[in-house]
Amino acid sequence: MAAIGINRETIRKAWSAVGVVRPVFRQHRWRLLAGFLALAGVNSLQLIIPRIIRQTVDNLQQGIATQAGLLHFALLVLLISLGIGVCRFGWRYLILGFSRILEVDLRNALFAHLLTLDRPYFQKKPPGELMALASNDLSAVQMACGMGLIAFSDALFMSMATLGFMAYIHPGLTLLTVLPMPLLAGLTSYLSARIHHRFKKVQEQFSRLTEFSRDTLSSIRLVKVYTQEQDRTERFNTLGQSYVRDNLRLALVQGTLFPVSGMVANVSMLLVLYFGGRLTIRGAITIGDFAAFISYLFMLTWPIMALGWVANLFQLGVTSLHRIKTVLDAAPKLIEPAAPLPLPAVSQGFALRHLTFGYAPSLPPALKDLSLTIGPGVLGVVGRTGSGKSTLCQLLARLYPVPEASLFLEEQDINRLPLAGVRSQIAYLPQEVLVFSDTVAANIAMGKPDASPAEIETAARAAAIHGEILAMPQGYQTRIGEKGATLSGGQRQRLALARTLLLNRPILILDDGLSAVDTQTEHAIIANLRPYLAQKICIIVSHRLQALADADRLVVLAEGRVVEDGTHVELLANGGLYATIHAHQGMQEGCQ
Amino acid sequence: MRYDFGYFEEDHLKKVTEAHLWQRILGYVRPFWWEVAGALFLSLIITGAGLGLPALLREAVDNYIVNQGLTIPARLAGVTRLAGLFLALLGLEFVANFLQVVLLEWTGQRVMHRMRQQLFSHMLGLNLSFYNRNPVGKLVTRLTNDIQNMHEMFTSVIVTLFNDFIRLTGILAILFWMNWRLALCMCLLVPAILANTLWFSTLARNAFRRIRTGLARINSFLQEALSGVSLIQLFNREPYSRERFKALNRAYLDDTLYQIKVFGIFMPVVEILAMGATALIIWYGGNEIMQGAMTIGVLVAFLAYMRLFFQPLRELSQKYSIVQSAMASAERIFQLLDTHESLPVAREPQLPAKDGGMVVFQNVTFGYAPGQPVLHDLSFTVQPGETLAIVGATGSGKSTIINLLERLYDPDSGGITVGNADLRQLDPAWLRRHVGLVMQDVFIVPDTLRANILLDRLDIDDAKLTTIVDRAQLTALVRQLPEGWHTRLGEGGMELSAGQKQLLAFARVLARDPAILVLDEATSNVDTETEILIERAIDTALANRTSIVIAHRLSTIRRAHRILVMTEGCIVEQGTHDSLMAAAGLYYHLQSLQVRECGPS
Ligand SMILES: Nc1ncnc2c1ncn2[C@@H]1O[C@H](COP(=O)(O)OP(=O)(O)OP(=O)(O)O)[C@@H](O)[C@H]1O
Ligand SMILES: Nc1ncnc2c1ncn2[C@@H]1O[C@H](COP(=O)(O)OP(=O)(O)OP(=O)(O)O)[C@@H](O)[C@H]1O
Ligand SMILES: [Mg+2]
Repeated sequence: MAAIGINRETIRKAWSAVGVVRPVFRQHRWRLLAGFLALAGVNSLQLIIPRIIRQTVDNLQQGIATQAGLLHFALLVLLISLGIGVCRFGWRYLILGFSRILEVDLRNALFAHLLTLDRPYFQKKPPGELMALASNDLSAVQMACGMGLIAFSDALFMSMATLGFMAYIHPGLTLLTVLPMPLLAGLTSYLSARIHHRFKKVQEQFSRLTEFSRDTLSSIRLVKVYTQEQDRTERFNTLGQSYVRDNLRLALVQGTLFPVSGMVANVSMLLVLYFGGRLTIRGAITIGDFAAFISYLFMLTWPIMALGWVANLFQLGVTSLHRIKTVLDAAPKLIEPAAPLPLPAVSQGFALRHLTFGYAPSLPPALKDLSLTIGPGVLGVVGRTGSGKSTLCQLLARLYPVPEASLFLEEQDINRLPLAGVRSQIAYLPQEVLVFSDTVAANIAMGKPDASPAEIETAARAAAIHGEILAMPQGYQTRIGEKGATLSGGQRQRLALARTLLLNRPILILDDGLSAVDTQTEHAIIANLRPYLAQKICIIVSHRLQALADADRLVVLAEGRVVEDGTHVELLANGGLYATIHAHQGMQEGCQ
Repeated sequence: MRYDFGYFEEDHLKKVTEAHLWQRILGYVRPFWWEVAGALFLSLIITGAGLGLPALLREAVDNYIVNQGLTIPARLAGVTRLAGLFLALLGLEFVANFLQVVLLEWTGQRVMHRMRQQLFSHMLGLNLSFYNRNPVGKLVTRLTNDIQNMHEMFTSVIVTLFNDFIRLTGILAILFWMNWRLALCMCLLVPAILANTLWFSTLARNAFRRIRTGLARINSFLQEALSGVSLIQLFNREPYSRERFKALNRAYLDDTLYQIKVFGIFMPVVEILAMGATALIIWYGGNEIMQGAMTIGVLVAFLAYMRLFFQPLRELSQKYSIVQSAMASAERIFQLLDTHESLPVAREPQLPAKDGGMVVFQNVTFGYAPGQPVLHDLSFTVQPGETLAIVGATGSGKSTIINLLERLYDPDSGGITVGNADLRQLDPAWLRRHVGLVMQDVFIVPDTLRANILLDRLDIDDAKLTTIVDRAQLTALVRQLPEGWHTRLGEGGMELSAGQKQLLAFARVLARDPAILVLDEATSNVDTETEILIERAIDTALANRTSIVIAHRLSTIRRAHRILVMTEGCIVEQGTHDSLMAAAGLYYHLQSLQVRECGPS
C-alpha cells in the first residue's frame, strides 16, 4: 500500500485545498449528476451481457436452444451495445467536459491572481516554476477530476455488481477467486506511487534539460564569444545521461506494473480454472455458470486495478491543488488599500520622509532614511553604480511596497491611494528595456492599444527613431526579433522611450533612458522633450550630465542616501561628487 | 499587449519521401540491432504465452471439465495438470514482458541521447544569422519534445506494432483452425473496424494538433506575461491581458470539447463492433453447435479470443498518431541537422603570428540581410598596442564591426586580419580567446557570482579572483553580500544593478587576459568615477594591449590614440582628438554639443 500518512492535519489540508474547486463543482452539479447517471447506465447494461452468454451456453449445453432463441439473444446483445454506446458518449462528454471546464476556470483564476502580485513575489518564484504550476499541476487536477472520478465510481460500481453476480452463482468460488484482488489493488497503488515518484524525477530532469538548452541557446552570443561550446556540450551530455538513467529507473518499475497486475489477474483465472473446473466436473455449477464466471472475472480485473491507480491519482490531484492554492492565497505585500482615498489630481508631486528600503532582510538596505521632495519640473538624479537610483525609481513607480508614512503623493500616504490609480499617473522607462517580438507599432502602442498611427508616429519622432523605423523593411509593421535581437542597442532603448512618451501621463520617470544613444541623438531627444516636460513632474536618472542639462534641480545619491541637493550651479560650487563628475566629463577644451 | 510571440506555426516542410526518413531513423538504430532483435524475440514469447492461455482454458473445458467420457479422477487430474501449465506460462509471460520493457527503454534512450547530443552540438556550431531567424523556443522544442516524440514511437510503437501484428495473425490462425466458417464471418468485421480507425485517426490528429497549438499559445502568452508582469502593471494593462488570456483559454476549451466528442463517438463504435462480433458468435456459433459442427469449448474460446482480438485494434489509431507525430518530428530534426549555416572553418587553421595585436579591416562590406548593407567598403587598421575609439550615431554599425571581428558573421566582401592572418584561416576558438569582448548586453548565467565571472576559467584561484574582483570595482558589492561571491544571481537569485552587471562583464574579460580588448559601450550604465577607476585598473592589468573602444560618452573616448567617426556604415573622419577638432567636422560638432553642458546654464 502507498504509505499514506493519514492524520488529521493532512485531511484538513486536503479539505481546504478541495475548497478551491468546490464552487465549480456546485455550479455544474446537474451536469455531473447526468454524467454519473450515464455512467451507471453503461455499467448496468454491461453486466447483462455475461448473463446472456451464460444463458446461451446453458441452453446449448442442455440442448434446448432454438434458432429463433439464438437470434433473439444475438439481437439483444446488439441492442444493449447500442445503449451502452449512447450512455458512454454521454458520460464522456459530460464528465470529461466538466474536468476541462474546471481546468480552464482554474487557469484563468490563477492568471488573474498572478497579475495582482508584486515584484518581490516574482523574484522568489521565477517564471519557470509558475509555468510548471500552470501546466503540470493543473493537468494533475484535471486528471483527478475527470478520469479519476470516472474510474473511481466506475470501479466501485463494477466491482460491487460483478462481485454480487459472482456470489450469486457460487459464493465459495467467488471468495476464492477474489483472494488475489486486494493484493492487486494494493500492488497497483504501491507501484503507481513509486512510478509517480520516479516519473517526477524524470520530469524534473527533463525540465532541467529544457532550461539548460533554453539558457544556452538564448545566450548564444555569450557562448560563442567566450568559447563555451565545448563546456556546454559536456554539461548537456551529463544532463542527458542522468535523464537516461532516470528513465531507466522509471522503466524498471513501470516494467513490473503491468506484467505484475496482469499476472495477478491471471492467477485469479487460474483459481477459477482449477477450483471452478472441479466444481463443474462435480456438477456443483453448470458449464454456463463456469463461462459466465470467467467473463465476470475479466470485468473485475480492470476496476480493481483502477482502484489502486485512482487512489494515487487523487493523492496527486490534491497535492497539486494544494500547490495551486498556495499561489492563489499568496498575498502581495504591495496591496490595494482596503478603503482607498480618492486619487488627487497630481500637481505637487512626491514627498519621501525617512524612507528606508531593502530588497531582502539579509541584504543591506538599498535606500537609507531618505528624505526628498519631488515637485513640478525636472529632477536629475546622479550617483555611483549601485547607489540606489533605480531602486528609487521603482519605488516611485509602485513596483515594491514601501513602509507606512514614508512616501507621499500630493501629501497623501501612498499606501492609502489606489494602486492602479497611482500607476496610471506615472510613465516609467525602466533601465533595462524589454522589447517584445511583435511589430514596431505594437511595441510602441503597448500602453495604449487604440493609439492612432499619427499618435504612434509623434511618439516615435519625439524619441528620434521615426526615421530609422521608416528605413526598416516594413516600416512600422516590421516584426522585431526575439528580445529585439535585430535592433541596435540604441534603437531598442529609443523604442522603449517612444512607448513611454506615448502614455502622456503627469509624472515621467526615465531611468538612464539614453545611455545607449549617441550624443547627437541624445541632444535631439532632449530638445524634443523640452516642451513636453514643461508641465510635468519629471525624474531623470543619468550618468551623463548632458542629459540633465535641463534639470531644475539635481540630487546626488550615495549608498542609498541623498548627499547633495541643489541646482547645477550650487552643486558645482559645492565641490562634491557632482563637481568631480562634471570635471571628468567636461575635460574638453571648450570648458577650460 | 498583443503578443502571441514565442509561438510559431511550423514552417512548411519540404516533401521528403517517407522511406528516406525511415532509412535515416534506422541508421541511428543500426548500432543497436542486437538489442532490437532481442526485443522482437521477446515479442514472440509474449504473444505465444498470451495466446496459449485461452487455449489452455479451452483444452480444460473441452477435454476434462465437460468430457463425460473420462472418469472423474482422470478429469480432475487433467484440470490440475493444465492449471500447472497455465501457471508456468504465466511466469514466462511475466519475465519476457519485464525484460522487453527494460530492454526497449534502454535502447531507445541511448539512441535518443545520441541524437540529442548530435543535434545540440550541431546547433552550437550554427552562426548567428540562423539564431536571428529562429526563435529560441522553437529550437528548444527540437531538442526536447521532438526527440521525445521519436522516443515514444521507438519504445511504445515499433515493437508493440510488431507484437500486435503477430498476435492478430496468431489469433486469426487459431480461430481459423478451430472453426474456419465462424472465423470467416468475423473477418467481415475487420474492414469496418479499420475504416472506422482510419477515419477517426484523421479527426483525432487534427483535434490533437489544435489542442497542442492552443496549449502552446496559452503557455507562451503566460511565459511572456510572467516575465513582463511589471510592465503590464505599470501600463495598467491587467484587464486587457486577462481578457486575452480568457479568449485563448476559451478557444482551447472548445478544442478539447471537440476532441472529447470525437473520442466519445469512436470508442462506442468500436465497442458496438466488438459486441457485434459477440452477437455473431452467439448466433452463428450456436447454430453450428446445434448442428454438432462445433463444440461448446470452441464457443467459449472464441469469446475469449474476441477480446484479445479487439484490444490491439482499439489502440491502433492511437499508435498511428504517435507514429505520425514522430515522423513529423524526425523530419524537423533532420531538416535542422541538414542546415549547414555555420561559418566555414579552415581545414588546417593557421597558427597566428606571434604578435597578434594588429587588426586590419580591408574594404569590408556587410549586411545582415542580403541587399541591405550595414557596413560599406570599410577599411581601417589598428596597430599593436594602439587604442582605437569608434564613435558614431546609434545604428551606424559600430557593434556590427565587433560582430565581424569576433567572427560571429563573415563579411560579404573584403577581408579582416588579426595578426596578419585572415580570420577565415584562424581557429574560431583561438580567435575568441585572443579577442576579449565586453558586450553591450550582459548575459547573466543563473549561477553564483563567482561562476559568472570565471565561466570556463576554473583554473583561477581565489587569490587571483580577489584581484580581479577588486580591479573590476566589485569589491564593495561582494563585501556587502551575505554569501560574498557565492551569492546566486539570476532567476530566483539576486539582481544586480545595471552598472554592476557591466562591471561583472569587465571581470569576465580580466579573468581571460586577452591579447586584444574590445569594449562595446561597456560602461554606458557606469558612473564616470567608477569608469575612471576601471580604466586605470585595465591599463595596469592589460597594459599595451590593442584595444577597440566604442562609446558615446566623449569622456570615455578621450584616452584613445585614434578616433574613427562613423555614419551609416561608413567612416567619415579619423584621426586624433586634436586633428579632428581642428578639422571642424562631425566630431567637432559632437564635441560642441557636449561642451554646451559645461558652460553655466
Ligand atoms: N541581427 C541583426 N539583424 C538585422 N539587422 C540588424 C541586426 N543587428 C543590427 N542590425 C541593424 O544594423 C544596423 C547597425 O546596428 P549596430 O548594432 O551595428 O549599431 P550600433 O552602431 O552599434 O548602434 P548603437 O549605438 O545603437 O548600439 C542597425 O540599423 C540595426 O537595426
Ligand atoms: N532585485 C534586487 N534584489 C536584491 N538586490 C538588488 C536588487 N536590485 C538591486 N539590488 C541591489 O541594490 C543596490 C542598489 O541598486 P540600484 O539598481 O538601485 O542601483 P543604481 O543606482 O540604479 O545603479 P546603476 O547606476 O548601476 O544603475 C545595488 O547594490 C544592487 O545590487
Ligand atoms: Mg540603475
